[in-house]
Amino acid sequence: MTLFGRRNVLMVLALTAAIAPSFVNDYYLFVANTILIYVLLSIGLNILLGYTGQLAFANAAMFGIGAYATGLLQVRVGWPFWLAFPSGALIATAVGLAISLPALRLRGLYLAVSTLAFAQFTQWVFLNWESVTYGAGGFKTPPISFAPLPVSKQAGLYYLTLILVVVLYVLAQNAVRSRIGRAFIAVRDSEIAAQSLGVDLLRYKALAFGISGFYAGVAGGLYSALLNFVSPEGYDLFQMVLQKAMVVVGGLGSIVGSLLGAGAIITALEALRTVKGLQEIAFGAILLGFILFMPNGIIGALKAKVRGWEEPVHRSRRRNSPPGPAAVTTPRSEVRP
Amino acid sequence: MAVKQGVQLAVISLLASVAIAQTSAAQVPGVTADTIRIGSFGALTGPGYLYGKLPMNGIEAVFDEVNAAGGVNGRKLQLVREDDRCDPAAAIGAVKKLISEDNVFALIGGGCSNATFAARDALDEAKIPLVVMASVHDGITTPVSPTIFSAALTSTIESEAQLLYAISQKAKRIAVISMRDAWGRARYTPLMEAFKKRGITPVADEEMAPDANDATAQVLRLKAANADAVLIVLYPKPAAIFMRDAQKLGYKPLAIGQTGIADPAAFEEQVGSPGATALFRTISMVRYTPEDPAMDKWRKAIETKFSGDRLSVFNLFGIGSAQVMVEALKRAGRDLTREKLVAALNHLTNFPTDVYGAGITCTETDHRCNKAPVWIAKEPGKPVRVLEVTKVE
Amino acid sequence: MILLTYLLLSGLTTGSLYALIALGIVVVNKSTGVINFAHGELFMFSGLLAWTLHVQLGVSYLPSLAIAVVLGFALGVATNLIAFRPIKNADVVSLVLATIGLAFVVRGAARVIWGGKGDYLSFPPITSPDPISFGEIMVIPQQIAVLAGAIVIMLVFAAFFRLTRAGKMMQAAADNAKASKLVGIRVDRIYMLSFGTGAAIAAAAAVLMAPLTLLYPDMGFSFFIKGFAAAVLGGLTSLPGAVLGGFCIGVIEALAGGYINSSFMEVSAFIVIMFVLVVRPTGLLGLKGMRRI
Repeated sequence: MTLFGRRNVLMVLALTAAIAPSFVNDYYLFVANTILIYVLLSIGLNILLGYTGQLAFANAAMFGIGAYATGLLQVRVGWPFWLAFPSGALIATAVGLAISLPALRLRGLYLAVSTLAFAQFTQWVFLNWESVTYGAGGFKTPPISFAPLPVSKQAGLYYLTLILVVVLYVLAQNAVRSRIGRAFIAVRDSEIAAQSLGVDLLRYKALAFGISGFYAGVAGGLYSALLNFVSPEGYDLFQMVLQKAMVVVGGLGSIVGSLLGAGAIITALEALRTVKGLQEIAFGAILLGFILFMPNGIIGALKAKVRGWEEPVHRSRRRNSPPGPAAVTTPRSEVRP
Repeated sequence: MAVKQGVQLAVISLLASVAIAQTSAAQVPGVTADTIRIGSFGALTGPGYLYGKLPMNGIEAVFDEVNAAGGVNGRKLQLVREDDRCDPAAAIGAVKKLISEDNVFALIGGGCSNATFAARDALDEAKIPLVVMASVHDGITTPVSPTIFSAALTSTIESEAQLLYAISQKAKRIAVISMRDAWGRARYTPLMEAFKKRGITPVADEEMAPDANDATAQVLRLKAANADAVLIVLYPKPAAIFMRDAQKLGYKPLAIGQTGIADPAAFEEQVGSPGATALFRTISMVRYTPEDPAMDKWRKAIETKFSGDRLSVFNLFGIGSAQVMVEALKRAGRDLTREKLVAALNHLTNFPTDVYGAGITCTETDHRCNKAPVWIAKEPGKPVRVLEVTKVE
Repeated sequence: MILLTYLLLSGLTTGSLYALIALGIVVVNKSTGVINFAHGELFMFSGLLAWTLHVQLGVSYLPSLAIAVVLGFALGVATNLIAFRPIKNADVVSLVLATIGLAFVVRGAARVIWGGKGDYLSFPPITSPDPISFGEIMVIPQQIAVLAGAIVIMLVFAAFFRLTRAGKMMQAAADNAKASKLVGIRVDRIYMLSFGTGAAIAAAAAVLMAPLTLLYPDMGFSFFIKGFAAAVLGGLTSLPGAVLGGFCIGVIEALAGGYINSSFMEVSAFIVIMFVLVVRPTGLLGLKGMRRI
């Protein structure tokens, strides 16, 4: 482990995040909390897109379902946040699992369009099922309280998010380094080869959709609590573009890359507030620039330049073991015909 | 012992720094000896820019005029813009940034309804005065927030006016065609309540998407329902498509628009079918259309400052709300605080602006300060004319 | 019966708009295997350029159309050079995102240039604006012009692919890029031509429908989504499929609006697509059984 290796940098990031609320103002705390929520989203999406190679457009919809379910269970049913939040995440997971069924038959751009159609359908339900969703006007969610803990709502929610990010980050990191992760990669690189190796396509595709649905659902619940407001605008196709941008800018097929990508994109969006009126041009140019000049994302550049950022797909027992088999870690483009 | 002393020292210096921070906070944020910093939030990018960027251009035109005349009580006005992309989360971010980072004294802003509504908690928490320029969501001003004032016609007032107008024109079978996005929904809901309150049922209730390119289906259904007046809760584009297809199918009801379609001359061109807008009436939030000679001054200001732009009604929204803010700042005096500004806003009575239908009146209990829908129409081949200014209570 | 006729007619008119967008998307996808997510923005931008020529500068209609098509072609070539050629071997997600990035830039630029000129810019129709009647059915001449124009554009391109050398090379490159390279076709040039052609179709479509749809910086995306859906419904690589897909979506929307409820219009096409793709995973006219491994 080198000084600027992944572990050390993450430790410093986590420590900074842990003490941040005591010295930043309300605005920066809000931005930091937003970044953390997007870290969850982009980890979930990366498992589906970067690891399993499923070009799906439904993550924003599942994010919305998590937010709506969490909010509506509080407002309509009267459940407390602590019950509504996990239930919302589970509902999003179930939806993720359900849309994996057609996905078994579809691939590439056809999968993209069918999930896009699903996302449009979800938006339509948010807008039109007014007796339940309150329609386009959205609804306020009750402010959550962390009593008896001595923290404000903002700081409490921030720490809750931080803890969930740490836990779910470690879980994802372990999952992708296990048998499951290797099966995902096999599905991505060649479904036929994966099947001949005995990988059950249905099971692993469903698992990848389910995991990304769960992460999106958790993020949705936290997001509804952060904004205290749920409305269809936040879960549209721009949201989907944002999440995809995070995954690609951070690096496809890298959990830590998702973390960096989410941080980079949200920071860029906030920093772009200084170029009044030209944000969309600048955002597009930055996105384009990243893809053109850093095709493997931030993590690709780090791996090339800094020691200690390798991500083997096997858990190494010995510290200095060589990285995993080359065939599995090569970027996807090189194994395409 | 040395350690203990060190800790004590650290604690003391920490407390001292907190104390210093608090005394500096006790100074009025955003106000210096010769400037006042005013923030604005709304969509600078994305489809909502009509209700964000363009009113902000109007605000800037007013600030330029005020500054050229020496400013407000000797202080020049500065505008800080923040983008909310019409997105609730981005609006909360923008408002928090304006308050905590940009340290503005007060706000003129609010373009998209949902975005502004979502940011209300953050605004209330900071107790920062806001004059709403374009958002119409009722939840922004009802229940009353102590520091939020609306110079825009709120959606209930407008919807109410639409229905009353139809009734006053002796319409017997009233129908509705609406968009159900956030903008449309903010008007549609109070409109339906207005119907209910009067015991009327709309004979048809149709929907159109903001990007729709055809309204044949909707027109045929409205025609089948035999509606003699149609309340239009649509943006100009779908409304133009609707009017065009109505003309095509020989359906000629009284068509009643709202502030989304506030420029009947431009609308006639958008419909592009001669005579189709003969029975079209609409509400304007402002008393003049951009072509009106009374607006020459502002047209010149906007078109010089933002070259290539044409003065639009959206600019006028900003001009009106900025004039309200400037007046309140003047009345709050040289010794400026947020409390004094709020008090000044609360006591505005019948304050005339260059643009609104009637004077602006705010009271402690009602911060919907603009209640004067202006009815306008343009008969084919004639200029736009003001039919009447109504008052809704 | 009159209701059905009206709905079918309006469905076909709207459908022809979708078909034209879908056609441009398919032309690009057919040879490059990529979806140009900036297609809608190129469409919008070309339309606004034509508006500036025709309305602001007073150039007459046909020259405006011609110039817009040429400029559209140039925009397509630029898209290829900026957002496709440098990364053509990258992951499909990166390719998609690169065009999305470009779309933001184009839309933002359009907002800066035309955003202050009013909400929806109107484009004078080329035909008489008065409705004309066919028996009991009333029609707006511009709608017929769009329908006819769309059919002409489709036929021109069908002829282009069948009859011209460039068209045949594009077909060949689409079928097998490696083999085309071996027989001396410069594939990179073909890709450039495809992007240019796709955008030129978009430009022609934009000028044709501008009087009906009005012009505004955010119009591209909603058209793109419908066109993309139409392209997929038709099978993504089939030109007749794109046309069929476009008409299908237009008609489905009109029927759903007329017979069920107008609130179903927007979503009806997407529901149909979800089901069609489950039954036929490569669209209506897509190649069956061919999977890229």
